[in-house]
Amino acid sequence: MRVSMAEKYELMGCIQCGRCTAGCPVSLRTHLNVRRVVYDGMRGVGPKDAKALPSAWNCTTCSNCTERCPKGVKPMELVIGLRSAAIEKGRIEPTIRDALESTLKHGNPWGRGREKRTEWAEELGVPVAAEGEAIPLLFYVGCTPAYDPEAQSVATALVALFKAAGVEYSTLGTSESCCGNDIRRMGEEGLFEMLVDGNKEEFGGHEIGTIVTGSPHCMNTFKNEYGEMPSEVLHYSQLLASLIEEGKLTFKGKVEKKVTFHDACFLGKHNGIYDEPRTVLEAIPGVEFEEMDRSRERALCCEGGGGRMWVEAVEERGERLAETRVKDAVALGADYLVTACPFCLLTLQDAVKTSGNEGKIEIIDLAALAAMAL
Amino acid sequence: MNIVVCVKQVPETAEAELKIASGGKGIVEEGLPLQINEPDNYALEEALLITEEHDGDVTVVTLGHDSSEEVLRMSMAKGAAEAVRVADPAFDGGDGLATAGALAAAVKDLDYDLVLTGCMASDDGNTQVGVALAELLGIPHATYVTQVDVGDGKVTVGRELEGGLIEKLEIGLPCVLGIQTGINEPRYASIMGIAKASKREIELKAAGDLGLDAGSVGEAGSGTVLDGLEFPPAGEGAEILDGTPPEASGKLADILKEKGFV
Repeated sequence: MRVSMAEKYELMGCIQCGRCTAGCPVSLRTHLNVRRVVYDGMRGVGPKDAKALPSAWNCTTCSNCTERCPKGVKPMELVIGLRSAAIEKGRIEPTIRDALESTLKHGNPWGRGREKRTEWAEELGVPVAAEGEAIPLLFYVGCTPAYDPEAQSVATALVALFKAAGVEYSTLGTSESCCGNDIRRMGEEGLFEMLVDGNKEEFGGHEIGTIVTGSPHCMNTFKNEYGEMPSEVLHYSQLLASLIEEGKLTFKGKVEKKVTFHDACFLGKHNGIYDEPRTVLEAIPGVEFEEMDRSRERALCCEGGGGRMWVEAVEERGERLAETRVKDAVALGADYLVTACPFCLLTLQDAVKTSGNEGKIEIIDLAALAAMAL
Repeated sequence: MNIVVCVKQVPETAEAELKIASGGKGIVEEGLPLQINEPDNYALEEALLITEEHDGDVTVVTLGHDSSEEVLRMSMAKGAAEAVRVADPAFDGGDGLATAGALAAAVKDLDYDLVLTGCMASDDGNTQVGVALAELLGIPHATYVTQVDVGDGKVTVGRELEGGLIEKLEIGLPCVLGIQTGINEPRYASIMGIAKASKREIELKAAGDLGLDAGSVGEAGSGTVLDGLEFPPAGEGAEILDGTPPEASGKLADILKEKGFV
């Protein structure tokens, strides 16, 4: 039996109060109107006729709408459902298509060969688990920290921090594959399920105690969308915070800079991890930390989530949210705008250039900042 | 308007460090992802677009081993109605001519108005199959096609020529067109769509089914002999810029400035 959008996404609880739209960061610069999307869904307007369909690609899946909904409706999931309809028809932006095809072929959305996944780790002595070897602590690097030349700073810094703190860990080397977090949000349910099965099989072959991820996106899907997982899943900021609290990670150096912190949606809004990154920041000697006005639950999305790393917003207008974010940090007088997500790192770095703030502020990953103080 | 599209599964080599296999006549394919030959993907899309506008069915045909059924399933997920795999150990080691001979034997009995191929195979780069196929089927052809307009009993095509010129040709149907990349924007085949297509039948044709004698196909039926593969010798005069991306791009900018290019 065909299940209606209203049933599938439990839309009938919606009271059209508009809290979703009022909190939607991309409604500032695109025509995406989440309230309308839900309204259409309630009235049984299928994806074929949904006027909102092209706009669905504007969503960054930041989850503001879902967090703010007083009735527990999940508008974000409906938007992902609309994307799924487009995916099944095969008519999607070529850049999204290429990211999906690359993930199927190479296990990463960046179009890079599997054997290049560990290039960042060459000469760093990063341990790779042998087949069947138990891994008490798995460092799941993630596609972006593994392949992107800027985001590799996250992976290399973590290796240095693990070494300094005496953390025994291992990686999966070239056997590591995409977690699927953003694949699911692009609406490719079949590919997501395939990645889940493949990754669970890979993890299952190693008896893994804890998985620590280089990206909040990977942590989110492992923790919340993989069903039963035998391992504990942590974002690296959580591990670093406990290493600091246990006195295992200490800093000999100083970073005498004024810094502010950008909460990544998949760390904060999706998973409520706000304190751990701040624990790390405050432990770094010399750091003068100041919050931006929009922080924690109110943090502004950088527009890098939900597959938006691979597609521009349609009918966009006004400045990019990442530019707004950079301007806020510059206005605060920060030397560094720190984040703990590789997508935020890249979107904010771009925004420094496009907003004409080169030389005024630097975007640095939390791990890289901590490693500067070793 | 029924269309046959000939497709080939090839290893993706863009990111790979290629190794020549023992025997020296091929590359080590282990570990290389397999995919549809890129120009064939555009040929398939063009066929789907034409049949969406003018009705009719698309049949995909491949010559290849078991794994090449993935390409057929993907094609069916995108909208192809039928799929045929020409498969026989006797076809191994065939060149473009031998491949065209096997495909022609499979295509000739199908109901078609148009045959599309990619303009070139990305693995051997031979660009021979489409032309030889047309010759063997006794129908006209055009290569490097970047525009197709279907008319009554004919097609008007644009062919890409040297120097960016486009040659316009009117060709009677049926004919074979070698499709160039960039002619359209290929659609995506979802994993669920491919899974559904995997339940559909793929027609298998061995040499005997096609009335072909083992001595006239594969290596024996080839007009060329492959002596061996070797890497081109490293040349001189290239400077590899090292360092991080900002460092390397800085060095590049300096060189361009120094040579007066910017």
